[in-house]
Amino acid sequence: MTRNTRILMQCIYWAFVLYLLVPLALMMLMGFKDSKFIGFPIRSWTLDWYLGVFGDAAVMQAFGYSMFIAVASTAIALFMGVWIAVALTGRSFWGRAIVLGLTLLPAVIPGVISAISFRIAARVIGMEPGMWAIIWSHAIHNVPFVVLVVMARLTTLPKSYGEAAQDLGADPIITFFRVTLPYLSPAMVGGGVFCMLLSFDDFVRSFFLGGYEPTLPVLIFAKLRSGMSPEINAISTIVLVLTALLGLWAERSMRGMSKRAAND
Amino acid sequence: MTMTTDTGRAGTRDRPGFWGRLSTFGPYTALTDVLLSSPRRQFWVLLTIPILWVFVTHLGPILQMLNVSLLTNYPPSPNKVASYTLENYSKFFADSIFITPFIRTLVFSTVLTLTTLIIMYPVAYFLARHVPRNKQMLFLMLLLIPFWVGEVVRIFAMMILLGNNGALNLALQWLGLTERPIPFMYTGFSLSAGIIYLTALYMLMPLYSALEKIPTSYGEAAADLGAGPWTRFRRITLPLSLEGIASGCTLVFLISTGMYATPVLLGGPSTTLFSEVIAGFFHVAGDQWPVGAAFSCIMLLTALALSGGFNKLMGHLAGRVKK
Repeated sequence: MTRNTRILMQCIYWAFVLYLLVPLALMMLMGFKDSKFIGFPIRSWTLDWYLGVFGDAAVMQAFGYSMFIAVASTAIALFMGVWIAVALTGRSFWGRAIVLGLTLLPAVIPGVISAISFRIAARVIGMEPGMWAIIWSHAIHNVPFVVLVVMARLTTLPKSYGEAAQDLGADPIITFFRVTLPYLSPAMVGGGVFCMLLSFDDFVRSFFLGGYEPTLPVLIFAKLRSGMSPEINAISTIVLVLTALLGLWAERSMRGMSKRAAND
Repeated sequence: MTMTTDTGRAGTRDRPGFWGRLSTFGPYTALTDVLLSSPRRQFWVLLTIPILWVFVTHLGPILQMLNVSLLTNYPPSPNKVASYTLENYSKFFADSIFITPFIRTLVFSTVLTLTTLIIMYPVAYFLARHVPRNKQMLFLMLLLIPFWVGEVVRIFAMMILLGNNGALNLALQWLGLTERPIPFMYTGFSLSAGIIYLTALYMLMPLYSALEKIPTSYGEAAADLGAGPWTRFRRITLPLSLEGIASGCTLVFLISTGMYATPVLLGGPSTTLFSEVIAGFFHVAGDQWPVGAAFSCIMLLTALALSGGFNKLMGHLAGRVKK
């Protein structure tokens, strides 16, 4: 590549970084505005909006509700995802491609259609909209991501590990718990945090399957539709900081995984 | 039996630990004798639950949606008996108020997918080729962090940027480029900016991993043989990144056809997308569920068929390159 195209690409990269970060930075700033109306310029500043979030019972409740849904759906997704990944890796049988295709299906269905199919299915089996319906839909939606991450890790597991355990007398179940599962743990941490983020941030499924209690994204959506105030900025900023921290943690654990895999 | 592979747990070597005791525990050994006696049994023990799970929970809801889309009324009501019909599907073709948002969604998603590709290709190329290895993670992080923030929060950030009192209008007025605020919000522009903002990462990651894999020696060899930069790009880099282009475009296309909160918050009456039409059947009146289900099926089939066809084409192109 010539020097000019290289500089051009560098400019595009930094312009894109600005495009991504400036709106979020502005959103954080606006949370300090001492006025009920969102918009520039900001003439006087206050911390009240940020402090107010912690005193707002509805927000704190929605936060706890979203958190519980994220943890519960992640637990189910991890359990099923690891099981499916272990069952499909290193095994060939008739129909494996079909099972693998169906495993990945929830990840490629457009969001609103997936939400509606879950809404209909919940009605068919007589499940009321609400917490369990949301947990169920988030878990199903997240299984493909766990399977992909765990399968990638499993293919790097040397066959000799399992054979050694079996030679020492371990049956397949004990081999799984003592050899395979510890080896998978970084992938499970990384995949699990990723699932928690997907669930915590999810809007469309929570919106269609929710009962009267809103999750945090649904609450922010409702507040956005009824009129904007810097309170929403403060809530969003706190959500942003939390999700960014969780994401960084997941990234670190996944990176440790690829490094260790390279060393193995 | 005691496994001593465990690290740092002194003492387990002498007396059997939990797993050692489990493997000699009567009921457990009886159970494993039954379950694991033959490879065939092990296979079914391992695969029954995954197979049931994917058929019942992954495929089940889609099939139920298909079933409801063929019913005359749903949810069931005591005074109306549901029967099978194709009327819900014919409603779609009968009225342009349904077809217009449908076409608009497809055109919008296609144009935005291509736009995202054109923006993200140089970004991914720059990251994979021009940033030193040890700094790549840092440069990638700058792009990743915003994507961990949820859809609704990011749409809100976009609203603050583009509103009439937003930062962009303020900057334009301050620069003297415009006197009155330009109404960016609730137009195709704000919707496009929002959708690209939300989907760009799904384009970046496949492109980046495809470009990163291409050995630099290929380009050097071509340069030695006299190929110019444009030829090297067209004959080496582009063909070898086709796979990344295919999966990035597929992801972005499927995600943008399924967006709901974004068109509701950033779009206006002239940019109604099909997802809003579908959602209307579930929120306004309950007895319109079958129509909503039918429209969802139409959307799903079209989106999957288009992206499947696109992938076939890209696979064909990539196959030709390999020959």
